[in-house]
Amino acid sequence: MTIASDVKQCLASLKGVEAGLSNLALRTQDDQSKQTLHETMNVVNEIVTDLKERVGELEREEAQYKGF
Amino acid sequence: MPDWLIVVLRSLLFLVVLFAITKWLGKKQISELSFFEYVTGITIGNIGAEMATGIEKSIANGILSIVTFAAVPFLAGIISLKNKPFRDFIEGKGTVFIKDGKIMEDNLKKEKYTADELLELLRKKNVYQAADVEFAVLEATGDFNVLLKKENQPLTAKDLGVAVAPSKEPQTVIMDGEILDEPLSTIGQSRRWLHTELEKLGVTIENVFLGQIDSDGQLTVDLFDDKLQVPSPQEKPLLLSTMKKCQADLELFALGTEVEKAKHTYSKNSQKLQEVIDKVTPLLRN
Repeated sequence: MTIASDVKQCLASLKGVEAGLSNLALRTQDDQSKQTLHETMNVVNEIVTDLKERVGELEREEAQYKGF
Repeated sequence: MPDWLIVVLRSLLFLVVLFAITKWLGKKQISELSFFEYVTGITIGNIGAEMATGIEKSIANGILSIVTFAAVPFLAGIISLKNKPFRDFIEGKGTVFIKDGKIMEDNLKKEKYTADELLELLRKKNVYQAADVEFAVLEATGDFNVLLKKENQPLTAKDLGVAVAPSKEPQTVIMDGEILDEPLSTIGQSRRWLHTELEKLGVTIENVFLGQIDSDGQLTVDLFDDKLQVPSPQEKPLLLSTMKKCQADLELFALGTEVEKAKHTYSKNSQKLQEVIDKVTPLLRN
């Protein structure tokens, strides 16, 4: 396992978290909880964007593990 | 007509009259909140019974009397809505039995309560030590209410300074294996969604005695077959633990990399994630 695959795994988990949060935000009846979940989802989304960039850099360094 | 038939008919008639009158007077009459409602309640019931069995009495007079007895608390209710002194006079005021932690002996005497009876009232409220009470009042209805001293009150989330997730009332969507459509549409979900949720739990609708949806949209069910174990909702704790794992991963990456820029991004993101984890933990804890 290389560090690139670890980062990719983390990225995938975060995407899952984002989807889960969005799902929960849609179903929650309370407006305040809804808002908090939405804000959290946005922050997670920012992190996902940053990580994607990093994954790109890593792939350039270790071209043999490309494919994400 | 034989007597017995007349009695049956009169009984049915007055049952209907009493039902209509209590409906008209509303819930307050039934809960007998004031002395007034207590008295009229008894009287109306008595007139009804008297009329049902007393064949020789006139039905019209009976109904007239019942309506009069019902009209007075109705009017009194309307006036007391507007007028505080009138309200105090009609509905009576509570008597304070314990104030600032001290028993008011004069008020006890006024209401003709002995120390034993006071202790009994306190015990009904689960208080065995009079010293634990800050304030206690005997309401006009005869109910006894107690405010404990702050240190004897149950601990709340506010006392502990713990953040808790706000919650709304749960909706009951399945009863006796039947889907209730109205509560389901209140939370904005469809029958199909409910079937999917049931499938996730691995149960069929016929086997569900009671199904409720909490404010986070999670379905909990009770089955007819009590031998079956239903999994409790795991989605939220799972989400939280995934977030925690990702945060730890990011920290590891920050430590592992030698590229200065990447190190910075990782640690910035791990911090950001930690902040939101702190924020949503109360929401995601079950």
